[in-house]
Amino acid sequence: MLALTIEGLELTYPGLAAPVLDIPGLTVAAGAHVALTGASGSGKTSLVNVITGMERAGRGRILWNGEDIALLSENRRDGWRLAHVGLVMQEFHLFPGLSAEANVLLPHRLSRLSLEPGMRRRALDLLERVGIERPGQPVETMSRGQMQRVAVARALVGRPGVVVADEPTASLDREAGAAVSDLLLELARETGATLIAASHDERLIGRLDRVVRLENGRIAGEAAVHPGEGTKVAAAL
Amino acid sequence: MFHFILADLRRNRIGVALVALLVALATALGVAVTLQERALRLGSARASAPFDLVVGAAGSETQLVLSAVFLQAAPLPLAGPEVLAALRADPRVERAIPVGFGDFVGSHPIVGTTSEAIDLFGGLAEGTGFAHFGDAVAGALVRQAVGSSFHPFHGNAGEAGEVHAEAEYRIVGRLAPTGTPWDRAILVPIQSVWDVHADHDHAAGGEEDGHDHAAEAAHEHDDDHGHDHDHAGGAGRPVDETVLAGGDNPGVPAIVVKPRSIADAYTLRQEYRRDTTMAVFPGEVLTRLYGTLGDARRVLDAIAGGAQALVAAAILMVVVVHVLQRRRQIGALRAFGAPRAVVLSMVWLEVFLILAGGLLAGFALGYGAVRLLSVRLTEASGVVLPVGFTAADAWTLIGLLAVAALATLVPVLIAYRQTPAQALRA
Repeated sequence: MLALTIEGLELTYPGLAAPVLDIPGLTVAAGAHVALTGASGSGKTSLVNVITGMERAGRGRILWNGEDIALLSENRRDGWRLAHVGLVMQEFHLFPGLSAEANVLLPHRLSRLSLEPGMRRRALDLLERVGIERPGQPVETMSRGQMQRVAVARALVGRPGVVVADEPTASLDREAGAAVSDLLLELARETGATLIAASHDERLIGRLDRVVRLENGRIAGEAAVHPGEGTKVAAAL
Repeated sequence: MFHFILADLRRNRIGVALVALLVALATALGVAVTLQERALRLGSARASAPFDLVVGAAGSETQLVLSAVFLQAAPLPLAGPEVLAALRADPRVERAIPVGFGDFVGSHPIVGTTSEAIDLFGGLAEGTGFAHFGDAVAGALVRQAVGSSFHPFHGNAGEAGEVHAEAEYRIVGRLAPTGTPWDRAILVPIQSVWDVHADHDHAAGGEEDGHDHAAEAAHEHDDDHGHDHDHAGGAGRPVDETVLAGGDNPGVPAIVVKPRSIADAYTLRQEYRRDTTMAVFPGEVLTRLYGTLGDARRVLDAIAGGAQALVAAAILMVVVVHVLQRRRQIGALRAFGAPRAVVLSMVWLEVFLILAGGLLAGFALGYGAVRLLSVRLTEASGVVLPVGFTAADAWTLIGLLAVAALATLVPVLIAYRQTPAQALRA
């Protein structure tokens, strides 16, 4: 389980006067379930990119269990992400032409000559767990809800220390979104993984432990969510 | 990794097939130009190999070679009988073989010559050589069977001509295949041709004037059309070789000379380059023709090159579009932790496979097209055109593959420099 500490993060883009992200400090405890909220353009996706190493932090330290990923090379960050991060994105980024099972295993297949023993078994178990009945089904023949569930299985197959979800329910209908939210929470809890979800879906935000609201790249508000009060907190922030 | 590439290729199979086809056609064009030119050059060089020196009456050197080697029908001036007689008596000459043209049977040229020509072309495959008037030896590609008979036809098939109904030849033997236009020829004694055409001004074909056989009284055979008459020149009569050594013949359009030595060949050529005669090395004349052919080839090469440049530009565009379209895919794969070297080599390999497939298919296509064309040309001309790749072609292929590999690398390297987040934003 990974704990996150951000120190003095400042991300700027060339041509933009104001920093996209300006976060002097933020900590997420190992195993915590945190929601990132904020209007679009508030820096949610940038923060997700920086903490997962998909984007170089301009300045500052991104410490995961004390290891600063901002210091890692591009290639090392890719490797670190494979080992530690389970990623779920708004656009599922599944690969058409491949089966659900092949999609779940693809990042690991591409990283090693042969799969770790037990990885395939785990992929099939996870697909069953997220309700995909035919692991051999090509993903392009699936509904969007099914696709995102395959993506959730892919995020968890490597036993990540943290699951990072960027608007996981935004492109789904209400019912499918609820199913995906359930799965994310249940699986994070079962595996003990830290969960960081950027979302503006109140039904997801309200079920997490803590909400961090971003505005213009800065933390504008933060609150703990108590059971039963989720919706209220989300609305208040 | 290969699984992923295959799935991707299968998914985009129509686009993939079109790009590969484009590459294949452009490659085939260049390959075909090279192969066909080479086949023509080798084929004609081989066809002229038995002809060391050709002597004829003064005129066009090129036409003399085209007529003697390739049996191209054309009116040639005749070299007088004294030329043939002198050559046959010359100690520097191993063989001087008269060659006379003009008649056809079907599309097969009838060549009047002596039995020495059979040795010149490597002997008989079946039957016997000609020893009598009315005997004929067929080339390897002539359809008529040994033992069958035919009437010669003056002038080429399909043209207004005249059947020499009074003349009849019987095929007594067949030449072994030579891979030259002579495979399509029917060889008869030159004396028969002289007899049939005795009333012509010359023995060369193409002209229809002076065909008044009946008026020719000096001949022993009956020329009255429509009546029973002798076979050509009186079939069955032994061929009289002495007429070749004397002045009592109309002359011949070409004499194929086999000198005893290379030095003799040069002195003979020098000696027979006179006002009334010329002597040529067919190889030399052909080299000059290749020069012209080479110019034509350069034009074709330029056209093929232009087409290939266009296709190369199209391919570069496809490569760039392919990689740019894949930027999100590249970004996503890396976001999920796939190493970027692996992801990009996958993209590279996929494009390279398409290009390499097109290149190889193009070589096969070009080869096939030239083979087909050469078979047609061989049927029409008798010249066997050897179609084949050489080591140089292998280097061309390797070069093209290397260029394709490098061209594909450029957009991949651009993609390599991006972070997954940048690629995903694309």
